[in-house]
Amino acid sequence: MSLVRNVPIAMEQLWTSKPKSLLTMVGMVIAVASTITVVSVVLGFSRYVAVFLKGWGTNAVWVAPERPAGDAGRTLGRAEIDVRDVESVRERCEALRLVSPDPRQAAVSVRYGRDEVSAPLEGVSVEYHAIRKFEVDVGRPLAVADVDQAHQVCLVGRDVLRKLNVDEGLVGQSLLLDGRRFLVVGLLKEKGSLIGTSQDDVVLVPYTMALKMYPSQRRKLAFVAMAASEEQVPEARAQITDLLRRRHGLEAHQPNDFSIRTQDEILEAFNAISLAATAMLAGIVGISLLVSGIGIMNMMLVSVSERTREIGLRKAVGAGRRDILAQFLAEAVTLSMLGGGIGVALGFGLCALASLHPKMVDVVVPWWAVALGFGISAGTGTLFGMLPAVKAALLNPIDALRHE
Amino acid sequence: MTGRDEPVIRLERVTKEYRVGEETVRALRGVDLRIEANELLAIMGPSGSGKSTLMNILGCLDVPSSGRYLLEGRDVAGLSASQLARVRGDRIGFVFQTFELLPRQTALRNVELPLIYSDARARRARAAEALRRVGLADRMEHRPSQMSGGQRQRVAVARALVHDPSLLLADEPTGNLDSRTGEQILDLFAELHAQGQTIVIVTHEPDVAARCRRVVRVRDGRIESDDADAEPTWEPARAPVSASPLSHREERPCPW
Repeated sequence: MSLVRNVPIAMEQLWTSKPKSLLTMVGMVIAVASTITVVSVVLGFSRYVAVFLKGWGTNAVWVAPERPAGDAGRTLGRAEIDVRDVESVRERCEALRLVSPDPRQAAVSVRYGRDEVSAPLEGVSVEYHAIRKFEVDVGRPLAVADVDQAHQVCLVGRDVLRKLNVDEGLVGQSLLLDGRRFLVVGLLKEKGSLIGTSQDDVVLVPYTMALKMYPSQRRKLAFVAMAASEEQVPEARAQITDLLRRRHGLEAHQPNDFSIRTQDEILEAFNAISLAATAMLAGIVGISLLVSGIGIMNMMLVSVSERTREIGLRKAVGAGRRDILAQFLAEAVTLSMLGGGIGVALGFGLCALASLHPKMVDVVVPWWAVALGFGISAGTGTLFGMLPAVKAALLNPIDALRHE
Repeated sequence: MTGRDEPVIRLERVTKEYRVGEETVRALRGVDLRIEANELLAIMGPSGSGKSTLMNILGCLDVPSSGRYLLEGRDVAGLSASQLARVRGDRIGFVFQTFELLPRQTALRNVELPLIYSDARARRARAAEALRRVGLADRMEHRPSQMSGGQRQRVAVARALVHDPSLLLADEPTGNLDSRTGEQILDLFAELHAQGQTIVIVTHEPDVAARCRRVVRVRDGRIESDDADAEPTWEPARAPVSASPLSHREERPCPW
């Protein structure tokens, strides 16, 4: 009842002091707009990164020879993985579905005609296409014969194409990789990039050929495997670790002489970072809300003391404590919710604006961020409007009417 | 329900004490007062006499420390703050020395105010009617800043009348007006009195008191003199009851 009759009074009051009301709202507008923008952009990035990491291969396990740090590492013999290790993993580890050796060369010279550029090279098996989801949209993928007979054929990523400034006509042509002539049999489908790391800047050759070109990697062979299913990733990891340790003759107290990473771990690491970033941003948003809440409280306290006589009069003509409380609380909550509403609109605008940038990820404002924006603005208004409203409600009408 | 011969107001041995720091101030020291329906009464007294305290208690802005206050036969001495607010909103009309109008609202909206808090119906119509009674039918949409002092006080009187109160309580109603305008306001009170309204004017001006049928003088927290005691045969002015808006008083439910 007291809400029904006092909300219009509050609205009238806000309307008659428009400039003051608007200025008070600015803080809330900024707080909510930044909340929505930040949440949406962070989410957009998270989603993009998740998709990007999935692009590196679902259920993938990366293994590479690696000497552990410290004394334990120094006492270890040679930290090596060779083709026989990889073949053994392929045969013995039941939790794995696909395995591909993955010798890498960070930068090789790619010559086509008179143009020469630099690109990373990977030596792979046929299975690599499936593990990494490298699809071929022009030409053909690697064939088993290419790998078995170490054919001088290659597949090229779109970025390399762009760097060479040539079109799809490259397929069927030959180019020079570190001085050796390779036939381009196919082009890899575009996969996108993340913070400067492109998945399309790559040249794939049969690993047998790569090992011929870079013989030092025969003993330092990295490989990629794909678990049979998501549930089997930990099992696959355990099987590989167990097998390699036995093959390398490691004793129980010795550390692994290789590194083993799963995609989940990388995703988890990223999630931890994004959670930390979100928490920090939430802190900043919290502070801005606090500031805008204090702004509203300050305005309402000034308003209560300016309007002490009015409060006294309202009480004299029959307004109860609840009426006065409702009136002033309604003013504070309306101010903050109006600010919240404008903030939500502004947040949408900023997100739309951010999405216009060509390098920006897709920014979608989640519905719960809108609800959150309204919720926290209403909550802040209630919280910080309560003190002034209670102060007004408890005024003694006699003293209030005598107030100068 | 209220009996016909029940006075509008009956105070019995009312005292009021305040604590100011260590000291206890005895503002009222046992006041007995009867105010009949349709009296026009002045309360006079020097400052510090307890006059303001008495007015606050009569207006239900404050409660006595001890004693009984019967408003239309019902004790209001022990009511809570919110119950008192409802009593004020329903039975008391205040007129203040400084008018106390809401500056940004029109005359009509100002007069409507008490009705808002009692959730009354037909607020506009009743507010307009009250403004007509004080002769401001042509000033309804004016703001206080667009009106003279006398007109503002008329708006305040209309606001005090709009909910048809048992008691119209005026605190120095002419204090901020020049003497001619003050006279007009007193004429208005006389007119309302003739229509049957019970009016109490708190004043320190003898001129104002002289216009009242009965004068109560307060000093040191006690009633020093009361014309009603001096003239025990005093009869309240007979109002044409049927013409008075007070005639439907009996139908209203008790607000507390």
